[in-house]
Parts: sequence; structure tokens; C-alpha cells
Amino acid sequence: MRSITVIGLILLGSAAALTQPMPAAPADPAPPPVQPPGLVTAMDTPNDAGNSISVDWRPSPDEAQGLVEGYVVYRSESAEAPESLWTRVGYVPYGLNQSRDQSVPENGMDFFYRVRVVSRLGASAVSQASNPARSSEQWYNSMRTNALIASLLFVAIVVYFITMAQKGQHLFVRRIAGLSAVEEAVGRATEMGRPILFVPGLSSISDVATIAALNILGQVAKKTAEYDTPLLVPNRDPVVYTVAQEVVKEAYSEIGRPDAYNHDSVFYLTDSQMGFASGVDGIMTRERPATNFFMGMFWAESLILAETGAATGAIQIAGTDAIHQLPFFITACDYTLIGEELYAASAYLARDPKLLGTLKGQDWSKALIVLLLVAGLALSLINPGVRGFILNILTVG
Amino acid sequence: MKILEKMSSIDRRVIFLLVALAVIIPLVANIGLPSRPGKYTIEMYGFIDRLPAKSQPLLIDATYSPSMMPELQPMLKAILRHCFARKVRVMLMTLDPNGPALCEAALREVAPEYNAVYGEDYVFLGFKPGSSAVIMAIGENVRQAFPADNYGKPLSEFPMMADVRNYADIPLVVSIAGSAITQGWVIYAGTRYHASVGAGCTAVSTADYYPFLQSGQLVGLLNGMKGASEYEWLNQRNGYSTARREAGKGMDAVSIVHLLLMLFIVLGNIGYLAGRRAAQKQ
Amino acid sequence: MRRQIPLMLVLVLGIFFFIQFFVPSRLSTNIYQVSLQWLILISAFAIVLAIGSLVNHHLLKIKRRREHWPYSYATLAGLVVMSLLGILGRFPGLGLLDEIYYRLYLFVQAPMDAAMFAILAFYMASASYRAFRARSKEALLLLVSGFFIMLGVIPLGALIWDRIPDIAEWIMMVPNMAAKRGILFGVGLGITATSLKIILGIERSWLGGGGK
Repeated sequence: MRSITVIGLILLGSAAALTQPMPAAPADPAPPPVQPPGLVTAMDTPNDAGNSISVDWRPSPDEAQGLVEGYVVYRSESAEAPESLWTRVGYVPYGLNQSRDQSVPENGMDFFYRVRVVSRLGASAVSQASNPARSSEQWYNSMRTNALIASLLFVAIVVYFITMAQKGQHLFVRRIAGLSAVEEAVGRATEMGRPILFVPGLSSISDVATIAALNILGQVAKKTAEYDTPLLVPNRDPVVYTVAQEVVKEAYSEIGRPDAYNHDSVFYLTDSQMGFASGVDGIMTRERPATNFFMGMFWAESLILAETGAATGAIQIAGTDAIHQLPFFITACDYTLIGEELYAASAYLARDPKLLGTLKGQDWSKALIVLLLVAGLALSLINPGVRGFILNILTVG
Repeated sequence: MKILEKMSSIDRRVIFLLVALAVIIPLVANIGLPSRPGKYTIEMYGFIDRLPAKSQPLLIDATYSPSMMPELQPMLKAILRHCFARKVRVMLMTLDPNGPALCEAALREVAPEYNAVYGEDYVFLGFKPGSSAVIMAIGENVRQAFPADNYGKPLSEFPMMADVRNYADIPLVVSIAGSAITQGWVIYAGTRYHASVGAGCTAVSTADYYPFLQSGQLVGLLNGMKGASEYEWLNQRNGYSTARREAGKGMDAVSIVHLLLMLFIVLGNIGYLAGRRAAQKQ
Repeated sequence: MRRQIPLMLVLVLGIFFFIQFFVPSRLSTNIYQVSLQWLILISAFAIVLAIGSLVNHHLLKIKRRREHWPYSYATLAGLVVMSLLGILGRFPGLGLLDEIYYRLYLFVQAPMDAAMFAILAFYMASASYRAFRARSKEALLLLVSGFFIMLGVIPLGALIWDRIPDIAEWIMMVPNMAAKRGILFGVGLGITATSLKIILGIERSWLGGGGK
């Protein structure tokens, strides 16, 4: 509808060649005047690093008639400054009545703002100067208090369960078939005299799924060191490659078999996604590993890898939090760790009480979230007005 | 009974061969399966169809790399054909460094079909890095983001650009993208600068844009190859294009592969049930 | 000591960047920006190590005449040729090399990538054939939903019954989305817990240890 209005205006030939929404230029015939914006208010932008002032204003009364094109915001050190000393600091189209000046030259110094309305027909009018405002930097972002409370609550729950676990309290962890099969999978490879392939995902080290995969790699490497089974770890990311190498080396040292560590077992293939997939497919068809692990983050190559592995007859254990790839792994692999199971894997394999304590903490936190969800849902159903309030509480600034 | 049971263990090479044939045959032969345009394709088509000829140009952002070409390039060409046939002016741009070559290829193919004149009927603004910063810059002034066209000629030298300042003068922005940049167009150009935004995306990312359709922030959506094929079909039905339906052909292959997949699944289940029954009898 | 230094670094930096998230001051944001730049620098060094690994791996293969060793020459040749063309092509007067690089990318690498990607269609066919078996009531429900989705995304679906695309869209938007969000809750907590375990030094598998 708006577009049609715009086209209509253009067809009427009313859109003058206005390339810059600057003060009214002499035009022939003079465009009809436009009313200036109302009260302009300026204040320090909250929760920021300083040098920023937020400005808002009452829109020009002509905006309701659809005559306004936008607003230009100016800054000056004095409310009475001549026209030449007002610096243009922003432009917003109609419909918005606030702007943020992020180029304030100095914190703690008074600045004034004026807003010039520009009409569609080329006229303009300037408001009165705003109140003085000073920018300042903050040391705490109050919009993130909710995140702080939630994080501290989560840490408290986890620490509580770790303490419980350390005191010797038994913590039940349900059986995860894919992880229970790790021992068997390594044993099978040993019996068959074939290697084990471990792909730590295709993502970078900043992806926590990759870190979870490297944690599992540490556990698997210890078992391969124990059984003296060859291990192959192809990598796509250079940083992950260097970390994976350290993880495997350390695992062999820890088990007391540093001599068994083969420097060539962890290697870099390529950065190209499909190039990496074809490289790993090649390894699977040539080396015929007895067991394939696909852990971490995967994209479209997941099924290409898993199907090739299935065709070679390997036992396949996958784990990812990439929701779109889960169906592919479930179809083509013997065992799949779904979402959070990937993160629980290291604790499950290590059976360390402290790690198991964190799992328990996770479960209770999840229960708390579900409880809050149900409560929020019930409250919004009883009183729809509460919905906005709840969303407001949950929004992290 | 044995034959039925065997249906659950068809050799994967047989499946591969049949899939290959299901892809190749529709691409070579002219099958032309019937097509019925979806609601969101019709909305997009209708919006462009209602724009007056020789009016202010619409802006097409073609932000994708060669890997997404099969789905998105036919979309771009179909929209260009629609615009050129109706004498609706076009500004074409890209936010992907791989984009200029693809845009050029589309323009070189489509513009001569309609004798579209560069600078009068269309302008190619080229590539600009910066994603959402570019979208916002156009909101202030298109010349701020693109002082010159792809070939270095100042925009002020083009007659069709004389009255184009920002989104207020652009009746529609069409974002054809294989990335999340469409959301940038909706948020910055649509919500902030009140531009009407339509989109074309890969089939896999369609679900991400449904909320924008429901909230009215997108005027229409072309869903992958299917959307492109529907747009081509509408172009042909309204006499705007006689060109070969590129996405239509692709869609024939996609449709037949889907049907083949369903057939395999049915056969697999018949075999599975037959095997289970035989096991129960034993 | 080899263990203590990384653990100490992780603890100090982990806590620091947790606090940094809540402190918007100039100093805090500057440190964060610098740390991001460091990450880029570290990646650059890691690339050198990674290429070293690739070259070493293939040279060793050639030297020891391992199975399929002649292919290692192809890998090394690809690495050297593309690197040289890419670097030298930037110099004035050597535009031809840049053009060759561009053509090799467009006519060799891109089609190979696309071919590899296209294999997915074949694998998807064989995987869905094997997986979609009505073994239980739930599996039957999945099968029926799958049929609606497959029909919903092709034009024939709407020709059979015009409500099919709507049903497909509903399946994707409601039950599918609900399941995805459920998994995402677990994933989110898993990510937070893993980070916490590493920061507190409880999880040490990434150092090759077993949590001891």
C-alpha cells in the first residue's frame, strides 16, 4: 500500500530532486512549509562504553498526514550556537523518533541537539534545542542482570552437585548406548587389525561442539593407546588440528605409551567442505577402518560421510548438536549421540564423579527451565497481558 | 512371496542408477510436468505485476555464490524477464563477492531478449562489502552506498536514476540470497526504512522466512527451485517469456526423484511386511 | 607444570571473559576486540602448521611408497600450483596467472565440489529407502509425515490435493519445530556446562587427561 502511495506521488511528478535532506534550498515554486518536531530530549545512552547520547523527539504534526520524509539530527556545544556550528550526526526516516549519536567527542561534556524535519516536497523546519546531555561510560550492563542471575544460579546448581558427588553420593546416569559401545568398537578394531577413524567435526575451535568432540577424542585415544590400535584423525580446521594433535599425544603419554603415538595419525586435510568429505571418504574406502567416530559439528556432508562408512561395513558412532544432520546420522550410523548427549559423553566415558555431578546439575537446570516454561505459559493463558512482561524479563540487552 | 521379501533389500547400486536416470531424463527430455504456483509466489508476482511501466526502479539484491546457482539463478532471470517484459526498471546489486559474475551472466542472457537498454531500463550497481551497513546506507541515499555502477560510471549519469534517492523511491526490494542477509533486508530496509521487501531463498532455508510472511514483513517468497519454476510458469502463462523454463526442468527432475523415493519407500515397506509375515508363519 | 599453566590460563581468561560480558566500558570492549584479533593471528599461524602437516603426510607417503602413493603427487602439485597462481596473479603484469587461477577455480574446483555435493541425492535415496520402515506405530507416523513433506515440496503435491502443501508446512512449523526446540534447550545447557567444566578445570580431556 505504501509503495503504491510512493509511486502515486512520483507519477504526480511531485518528487523534487532532493538528493540531500539538508536545510531548505530555494525552490521554485516554494514547497509548502512543514511543522517542526516537538520537544527534543537528549540523554546518555545507558549500558555502553561512553561517547554516545540518545536523542528522541515528538514527531512533526505533519507526519500523520504522510508529508514527512525523515528527520536530520544535529549536535552542538551550545544551544544558541549559529547554524554553522551545528554538526549533522544522524538521519532517520519517518516513523522513527529516536536516534543515537555514537560519535560524541568527549564524555562528561554538555552537548545540545536539534532535529530538522524534511518534508517529501523538499521543505524543512528545525526544532528547539534539546536539554544538555553528557555521555558517560558504564561499568555494569543492567540489561544483562537476568543473564547474570541465570548464570549464577546454574553455576550454583552445578557446584552443589559436584560437591555431592565428591562426598561420595551415588549419581545415577542413564545408559547411553552409543557411549557404552565405545569400548566394544575399539576392541573390534583391535581384533580385526584395522584402524579407528575419528572426525572431530568440521567447525572451528570456537564451537563448543568441537571442544566436546576433542574431549571424546581424548578418551578414545586412551583406549587406542591401551589396545595399540591405529588411530586416524583427519582435520578441516587448522587450529582444531593442532589441538587434536596435543590431545592424542597427551592421551598416549597418560596411558604410559608415548612411544606408541604416531605423529602422522592426526593430520590436516583441507579447508574445503566437500574436499574434506571426499578426502575422508577416500580414507574410509582405502584404509577400511573398523570403527568410525563422527563427533562435533557437521553440515551437508554428514550423510556423505556416514553412508560411505556404512558401505565399508564399519561400526559407526556419531554425535552432533546440528539438529538438521541428526536424521542422517541416525539413519546411517549404528549409534548417534543426540544434542546434549555429545556434551555428556566425556563425563560418561571418564566416570569421574565431578564430571557426573555437572550432568546432574544440567538435568536439574533443565527441569527448572521446563517449570518456568509451564508457569509462563499458564500465566499468559490466564492473563495475556503478562506475556509482554515475561518476554521483557527474558530479553538480554 | 520371495519376490516381495526381496523388495526390502534392493541393491544400493540399483537405487543409484535409477536416481541418476530420474535426474538425467527430465533434464534431457521435455517432460513439462504441470505446475501450480504457491500462494507466496503469486503474491510476489502480483506485486511486481502491479507496478506501472517506466516507474521508479525496483532493487534486486542477488547475494549468492555459484553453489546455489541451480536454485537461485533461474529465480533472478525469471524476475528480470518479468520486469523487462513489462518495462519495469531494475537496479541490480550483490553483497557477495562471487555475485557480480553471476549477475552479469543473467543480465547478458536476459536483457537482449527484451532489447532492454542499460542505463534506461536497468543498472547494475555491482558488489559492495558490508552487508547490513550497505542496506542501511541505501536507506539514507543509494549514492552513498553505490556512488558509481559496476563499471565505474557515476549513478548521476543514468536518466533512470535521476529521482532515486533511497527506499522511499524504490517500490520493491527483492532479496535473492543463499544466506541470512534476507533478514537484514527485512529488518533494516523493511522495518527501519519502510521498504516493501520480497525474497527468494534456497528450499532448505524457506522455513526461516515463514514468520516474516506471517507478520507481513515480506510481500512474497520464492521457495527454491520450486518458487523459480512457478515464477517461470506465470511468466509464460502471461506471455512475458518464451524462454526455456530452466527451473521448470530442474523441478521436473526434483519431482520425479521425489516420486521415485516414495516408490522405494513403499517397496521397502512391502518387503519388510512380507518378511515379517513370513517370519511369523515360521 | 605443563598442565598447570594451561589450566590456570583457562581459569583466569574464562572468568575474565564471563565478567567482560557484563561490563560495557571502553577498556572492557577494547580487550574483547584485541582478543578477537589474537584469535585471527593464532589461526594464521595454525594454517602454517596445518599445511606443514599436509605436506609432511604426503611426502612421507611418497618416501615410504605406501599404497596409492602416486596420488600424493597430485595433492602436492595442486597445493603448489594454486598457491603460486593465487599469489603471483596479484602482481601487476601477471594478470594472466590470475585468470588461470580463476578458471581453474571455476572449471575444476567448483564442479568437483558440486559433484561431491550432488552425491548427497543418491545417498539420501538409499538412506531413506532403508530407514523409512513402518516397524512401529511411531515409525508409521513418521513415514506418513515424510510422505506429506515430500509431496508438499513438489508441484504434483498441490495437484493431487491443494491442502498438501499446507499440511507439509504445518508439520514443519509445529511438531518439527517443537522437537527441535526441545533438543536445543539441552544443547544450550550442554554448551554452558561444558564451558563451565573447562573453566573450572574439572574437564581435562582436551589436555589429554581423564578428569584426574
